[in-house]
Amino acid sequence: MISVKKVNNRPLNLLERIYLWEIARGISVTTRHFFVNLFFPKNILTVPYPEKTIPLPGNALFRTRHRLKIRSDGSPKCVACFMCQTACPARCIRIEAAEYAENTVEKYPAVFDIDLSRCVMCGMCVEACPEDAIAMDTGELPGGALARPGMKMTKETLLRNIPGTGDPSAKGAANRLADEYSGGLE
Amino acid sequence: MMDFFAANKDMLLFTGAAGVKLLAFLGAVMGFTALMTLAERKVSALMQDRIGPNRASVFGFAFNGLFQPIADAIKMILKEDFVPGRAEKLLFTLAPFFALIPILALFAVIPFGDYVMVFGYRVNLQIADLPLGLFFVLAISGLAIYGVFLGGWASKNNFALLGAMRGAAQMISYEVVLGLTLVGLMMCYGSASLQDMVRAQGRLLFGFIPAWGVVCQPFAFVLFLVAATAENKRTPFDLVEGESEIIGYFLEYSSMRFAAFMFAEFLEIVLISMLLATLFFGGWQVPYLYETGFIFPGGAQLPLNHYLVTAMQAGSFAAKTVFFSWFSLVVRWTLPRFRFDQMMGLCWKALLPLALLNILITGAVMTILGKL
Amino acid sequence: MPTITIDGKSVEVEKGTTLLAAAQKLGVYIPRYCYHPKLSVSGNCRMCLVEVEKAPKLVTACSTEAAEGMIVRTASDKVKAARRDVLEYLLINHPLDCPICDQAGECGLQDYYMEYSLARSRFKMADKARRQKRRAVGPHLVLDNERCILCTRCVRFCSEVTRTSELEVMERADHSYIDLKEGKALDNGYSLNIADNCPVGAFTSRDFRFKQRVWFLKKTPTVCLGCATGCLMEAHHNENTIYRLMPSPNAETNTWLCDHGRLTYKAVRAGDRLTKGVIKNGLIDLEPALREAGARIDEARGAVAVLGSPWLSVEDNAALARLAKDSVKTENYCFDFASEPGIKDGILINKDPAPNTSGTGLVKTAHGGLSLEELSRRIAAGQIKVVLAEARAAGLLKDTLKAAAPLLVIFAANKGEIPAGTYATLPYASYFETPGTFVNYQGLRRRTAPPVEAPEGVKPLWAVVNKLAAYSGASLQLDSAEDALKGIVFK
Repeated sequence: MISVKKVNNRPLNLLERIYLWEIARGISVTTRHFFVNLFFPKNILTVPYPEKTIPLPGNALFRTRHRLKIRSDGSPKCVACFMCQTACPARCIRIEAAEYAENTVEKYPAVFDIDLSRCVMCGMCVEACPEDAIAMDTGELPGGALARPGMKMTKETLLRNIPGTGDPSAKGAANRLADEYSGGLE
Repeated sequence: MMDFFAANKDMLLFTGAAGVKLLAFLGAVMGFTALMTLAERKVSALMQDRIGPNRASVFGFAFNGLFQPIADAIKMILKEDFVPGRAEKLLFTLAPFFALIPILALFAVIPFGDYVMVFGYRVNLQIADLPLGLFFVLAISGLAIYGVFLGGWASKNNFALLGAMRGAAQMISYEVVLGLTLVGLMMCYGSASLQDMVRAQGRLLFGFIPAWGVVCQPFAFVLFLVAATAENKRTPFDLVEGESEIIGYFLEYSSMRFAAFMFAEFLEIVLISMLLATLFFGGWQVPYLYETGFIFPGGAQLPLNHYLVTAMQAGSFAAKTVFFSWFSLVVRWTLPRFRFDQMMGLCWKALLPLALLNILITGAVMTILGKL
Repeated sequence: MPTITIDGKSVEVEKGTTLLAAAQKLGVYIPRYCYHPKLSVSGNCRMCLVEVEKAPKLVTACSTEAAEGMIVRTASDKVKAARRDVLEYLLINHPLDCPICDQAGECGLQDYYMEYSLARSRFKMADKARRQKRRAVGPHLVLDNERCILCTRCVRFCSEVTRTSELEVMERADHSYIDLKEGKALDNGYSLNIADNCPVGAFTSRDFRFKQRVWFLKKTPTVCLGCATGCLMEAHHNENTIYRLMPSPNAETNTWLCDHGRLTYKAVRAGDRLTKGVIKNGLIDLEPALREAGARIDEARGAVAVLGSPWLSVEDNAALARLAKDSVKTENYCFDFASEPGIKDGILINKDPAPNTSGTGLVKTAHGGLSLEELSRRIAAGQIKVVLAEARAAGLLKDTLKAAAPLLVIFAANKGEIPAGTYATLPYASYFETPGTFVNYQGLRRRTAPPVEAPEGVKPLWAVVNKLAAYSGASLQLDSAEDALKGIVFK
């Protein structure tokens, strides 16, 4: 049974019903904004993105631009398992796997592209990753490129390390192999 | 040859003067309208704490978006000129002209100054001083309905047709109110020539209040403002277009045909601002400024050069136009849209009786004042 | 004929039938790892344990024969608990390699874990047994001993099917692991079947390694054209690229697929794939190439020979026959290809390397034509100025063509096939890109289904022939492959 809530709105008084006074009040608000912003343009909250950005609050749980985490030897933690590509609802991830000749981890991404123009920032890739290799914690809001190539993140750009967030975490299913390879450093 | 010039001197001078006025005035109007398209976006941005267009640049100089109208024009020209397969080709092509030309024609009767002496000749600062200018305005602006309706009908698109139907109903309804509000003004000033009406507003009431339309007919001013906004199809009466939801009559138009409709709308803003200035705010009149200079109530005088006076008058007219254009933008970005039934109800149930009442009161007051 | 009851449903089975087969007959699925219908029963994985009334312990369904009056339960709590325990036991030492394992997605351990266990591991990752990780064994396989659950399917395959016995279980009990016997290499012609047979990721294909995740693959059933056996197979493909070929087991021809057949897909995306016509050695578009070839054929009218090919489908051969008979109007055409069919190695590989020798026989019956010897004689005698042939069929007359040197117009899919001295080469769509009918050595009519699309501008051979006919003689007006088949009678 849908419950019905009756809202008893106050009946409009004469001044409100004439409407002109209310219009004048509305116009006074917008006009005030107009002149304040016209004469003090520095106070406008909007910034010309992407040249300027507003720093995000440090504790905010925003999903921001992706990055690929690295192991202590600088190689990507990603093992090209394609879980993120499988989970991605926007199909913006493209991976090509390759094989290490020596490394016990065996598999790594030769190509790891994220097309930010298609990405919907849903974070499914981060959820899906069994290696804790992809994260959306760079604090950069993606977008605002003048051409399509500017929206494409490659493996190299994704591996760009952000100071303070670069610590390789020990989580991950195939981590034992990585451990073995790096001599238990991680 | 010289005989011909000598014989037709007056006519040639009139034609030459009219041509120069036409080019200068319409050029100014066109330029201002182009800037209005930018202003629409800039003003709305500032009202909403945004920045607005600032990217269009020439050689890296953006001047805070000043080149945006040029960029828009280039974009519009380069778009595909699409005609739907089922459309009436001829009417589809003609409709934008029906929308644009009546508006342009109306600028002919707007007085943008008193007169200026050039080489001893008196040049009236109005392209065409029609004795029945006000009726010309009402008659020609009525033609603009054809642009809307033909555009919607010739598209052979159901949504466009519905938009056109709404538009035709709205414009015809508000034309009635528009006409009736002006009756009071004509009664006050005893003329239908716009130049005469402006001159009449130069008088002083009680020796110090300029006899502007807004003073004589404050009621008519409000009615006219509402009716003119509706006639212009601007928010809150933009349910002809309703670009975001209900789809308007130019749905099938693209490229420069669409631009023509758009430009006509912005021209209409300018036109209505000029009419508001002319009819209710003294047109080119500056309070206490006369042909010879300022004569303030109380007797103080400040004689001025004729050209300076003319320039001040034209500037006053321009300033009023700019103000009302800006006001139109502010109204648009403040008020939400009416429902169709509310809009029609407002016209027939509120504005029309009030306009009639205004005529009645005006007549009564004039009779009483005449008797006294 | 004992009658047994499985999960309340009774079924009468032949003597000697196992419980697993009986259950399968009833539609009851019993999980299994080591059991394979075409291999001997080993009964070592214990996954197929079922409860039999009056039996003291659970029994393995794969190795227990049905006896009169047996009452079997496959879903009782006891059975479920047993399955869970067996899985836990198998997973104790199984590494967490799923992200880097090609088997993931079609892995028996993953599937059964999700269906029968879902239990958390009680053992520490650090305590897992260590074995040899990946290493290449043989030209086609990678072995990872750590992932192995010792079901011995691979060992049995090598000893029973190929009879080469390269693999063996080494050591005993919990030390045991699969390895190559000393001095052997896993290079028998069927080794990729081991990767299919392996229920986990211990044996994986080197060719398919890390190419694609299996859940992205779409499957199209088609026919192997590696030889006259005509095995049924599935092409696994994604985004217009074939990634691997897998056997579709069937009663008529094959359970397995040979390594040669599995790699036939490589030609489709090979670097030397022809997408344009070739005149002498220069690439040109198909249309001018056709015009040029057509003009040469038209000039030599009466001295033109058309050679069919056992590598082409019946449709394409029929189109060639129509070209010779109705368009060029020559009697020098041949669809007579003798062969000695029969399985060469006792498993799958046929003595006849061409897939459609029987099919060309049908074309010969319908359209007649010279024998191969007669055509060869006429070419040698210099009566033929222009020879129109498919590349591999032209190879059958290699010496004659070299000696008499007529103008050669060749149909080829890959550049590598083009014989030396060819004047014009016309590309055509391979049978991974266009449907075609083939008749195998047993006379079974089989149709390929195209998993991928042909490169732009490349058309099926019958369509190329149709266009060529317009340039070289009377038009054939073939609108579809079926048009070409008119007059051909299949048995």
